[in-house]
Amino acid sequence: MNKDLTLVRNIGISAHIDSGKTTLTERILYYTDRIHAIHEVRGKDGVGATMDSMELEKERGITIQSAATYCNWKGTDINIIDTPGHVDFTVEVERALRVLDGAVLILCSVGGVQSQSITVDRQMTRYNVPRIAFINKCDRTGANPGRVVEQLRDKLNLNAVMIQMPIGLENDLEGMVDLVAMKAVYFDGDQGDTVRYEDIPDNLRDEAEGKREELLDAVSMFSDELMEAMLEEQEIPEEMVHEAIRRGTLALEFAPVMIGSAYKNKGVQPLLDAVQTYLPCPTDVENIALDLDNDEAEIKVSNNPDDPLVALAFKLEDGRYGQLTYVRTYQGMLKKGDFIFNTRTGKKVKVGRLVRMHSNEMEEIDEAGSGDIVALFGVDCASGDTFCDNTINWSMSSMHVPAPVISLAINPVDNKAQENMSKALNRFCKEDPTFKSFVDHETSETIISGMGELHLEVYIERMKREYNAEVEVGAPRVAYRETITQRADFDYTHKKQTGGSGQFGRVAGHMEPLEEGEYEFVDEIVGGSIPREYIPACDKGFQASMQKGVLTGAPITGVRCLINDGNSHSVDSSDMAFQQAAKGAFKQGYQKANPVIMEPIMKVAVEGPSEFQGAVMGSLNQRRGVIVGTCEEGSYTVVEAEMPLSEMFGYSTTLRSLTQGKAEFSMEFSTYKQVPKSVAEELIKEHEASKKNA
Amino acid sequence: MGYEQLVNQNPLRVLNLGRHNKHLGLIMARAGLGKTALLVQIALDSILRGNRVIHISIGASIDKTKIWYDDILQIILQDGSVTNPHQLIDMVQQHRMIMTFKESAFSRPRLEERLNDLVLQDIFKPNCLVIDGFDFENAGREDLEDIKDLLDAMSMQAWFSAVSHRDDERVSPVGVPGPCHEIDDLFDTVVLLKPEKEMIQLDIIRNNGEDSAAGSGLILDPTTMMVKKN
Repeated sequence: MNKDLTLVRNIGISAHIDSGKTTLTERILYYTDRIHAIHEVRGKDGVGATMDSMELEKERGITIQSAATYCNWKGTDINIIDTPGHVDFTVEVERALRVLDGAVLILCSVGGVQSQSITVDRQMTRYNVPRIAFINKCDRTGANPGRVVEQLRDKLNLNAVMIQMPIGLENDLEGMVDLVAMKAVYFDGDQGDTVRYEDIPDNLRDEAEGKREELLDAVSMFSDELMEAMLEEQEIPEEMVHEAIRRGTLALEFAPVMIGSAYKNKGVQPLLDAVQTYLPCPTDVENIALDLDNDEAEIKVSNNPDDPLVALAFKLEDGRYGQLTYVRTYQGMLKKGDFIFNTRTGKKVKVGRLVRMHSNEMEEIDEAGSGDIVALFGVDCASGDTFCDNTINWSMSSMHVPAPVISLAINPVDNKAQENMSKALNRFCKEDPTFKSFVDHETSETIISGMGELHLEVYIERMKREYNAEVEVGAPRVAYRETITQRADFDYTHKKQTGGSGQFGRVAGHMEPLEEGEYEFVDEIVGGSIPREYIPACDKGFQASMQKGVLTGAPITGVRCLINDGNSHSVDSSDMAFQQAAKGAFKQGYQKANPVIMEPIMKVAVEGPSEFQGAVMGSLNQRRGVIVGTCEEGSYTVVEAEMPLSEMFGYSTTLRSLTQGKAEFSMEFSTYKQVPKSVAEELIKEHEASKKNA
Repeated sequence: MGYEQLVNQNPLRVLNLGRHNKHLGLIMARAGLGKTALLVQIALDSILRGNRVIHISIGASIDKTKIWYDDILQIILQDGSVTNPHQLIDMVQQHRMIMTFKESAFSRPRLEERLNDLVLQDIFKPNCLVIDGFDFENAGREDLEDIKDLLDAMSMQAWFSAVSHRDDERVSPVGVPGPCHEIDDLFDTVVLLKPEKEMIQLDIIRNNGEDSAAGSGLILDPTTMMVKKN
């Protein structure tokens, strides 16, 4: 392993589903001698691609977990995180991005920038991840890299410029012209192992010159020397161009675009070169930790291996050999046999086995330097925990975790399944912060919740396969919420006299809608009308009332409760009495505050051939959707709409039959909105009926 | 609706936007003077009257167009006269639809097909179209007449924006600059935006079919791009 951090790259590969991430990763591993044969994603050889290690992934042809893997290209260590492409798994993508220094954004030369690429790109911008774009599948019919570059500029606002130019396209894809070196690049051998550099074919020379000019114009902004050299019309050394591209890329102001076809083994080695040349090493990137001993003050991590250890656990996996924890070290060294501290729990753990992962095979190592991505065995922690040595108490800034929007009830079929199911749920909750499970005490059902139908489906499948837990699945339910829309006063006295000491408490004040945030408690009691010691009890009582709304039993959010008056009794008042009083007061105020039901609204984008646009819009409209807009791109159209999640169940089937399977859609959580009256009435009726039956 | 006050306060009322169905308007200016902002204000005015508007952006993205509306709505909401901002934002969203086209993909048959998709399925029945980015430079009189026929047939009001150029000296007798100097008779209302000291002057060249003297008009605040009173 390299000690020199400039020779380490932590990169992610992310993109839209089916644009060939896994295939590309497979090629990278092959060319860097990590694997000795190439397997396809939906391979006929029955082995499946190396990165797709879960059986389920192999069966569906999609990558669910972002397996981390390591390879070495021309002396540079490259840690690759393969990330899932489906939007339901975005938390996986986000978590992977957190620990990356750079990324390769893969795009399909035919599909171009699709909705998922936009989501992923937004995430990359959020985490300041410099990126290279790779336009894959240039061998496919309809390949049009030029159009994709345009979309990168229009839709993603990237300053995207090609640094290569294809030689032939579709079936005739032979290779590419490297616009920096001004050479034609070809790939020889069955697996494209040998890279051959030639002069640019005469018929392409003029075009290549023009494209190079464009490239130089764009990158000269990042290098004064280059600008000067261009003005003085000097010979421009290759190094100077590389340096300018690198600077622009690191500043997130430039995105080099490369092309190729991973499946046809074209363009992969130059991409690896570009990763080495243009993407940042750990010291190029600024990472911020929070000092827990110093009021979460922000501290820049040093990347220095001699400093105290700071490492982030970004992914857990339950493998054949127990829990595997993927960590990224930010500074210091992680050594076998060392004791490290989990700063969230304060627990001390010993580093037992330390391994470098290659999908589901691994390699034992003794130590890992800063900037490295490795895995630990047998360390009990949750995803997102930070490890330090005992001298400091830092935490890597917490990750953005969206709240779940959908839930289902699951019931184990027998006792054995029951046991396995709880094991599995325990594991999944630790692995994935967007996946939650709890037991509904009223129905004694186990409820799981997450980011979408597919998200939950995958976990149910995993339960069955990995834990042998057969469960019956209820219909998916939307995570409704309740909130209030106007201010209301309350004044409630809780009084009980049942022999012995009674209960007494009076709470008065008002509640009002809270624009931002879920709950706020304001104490404006003066003159001790409620004694200080009972004020937390009032807060507690309000919070308890927020857990179950009156209308549908959904949790209540967005309420500010203010108390300004009350009464107490020297003997009969107690914590309990004031909690009860606050609950009563909340109930009293809530009914007057015009409560409403809120439902999750999803941002949906449907992409498909233009001829189906009418049908698609019709189908969205029928489902209470608001169509935000349509976007025509040649023969393709994207319809963007805001849809209530409750109406989107089974939409994929509808869409398939409407469009002969030619359209696809993506969906992400947007906001909560009030449900229309008619729907609200229905929901309230349902809730009442279920209460009666219970 | 409850937004009459906003409509009545709107300085754009001199254009009599609410009156006609089959009405064709044109906004001309050099690049960067606020054509899109004005189109969005016209669209919002129409929405506040309870109409449905399709905003057609040629060569721009849905998101960019949406941001125009969000920004201008924000300015409208700033003075605090609207009691329920969320309701207004929702209403704008429900009464507006954005269609974007590639420069090369916009034509009458395309537009007709799209509009029919919406109207026949009863998804969205627009009363007003605003069309931003129509290529007057390369479109002929027939192209525009064709679109005008379509809009007439569907009895919709429509507003176009057109870019004029500093060095383009062509001008029609009433003062409509190129590239629209030969087709300005197709429009019932023509508005010209001109930089005037620190403000942007909004000249109404023709108002509902009647030519008006230059200089009659409104002022556009260049920081907010909102129309101000004269």
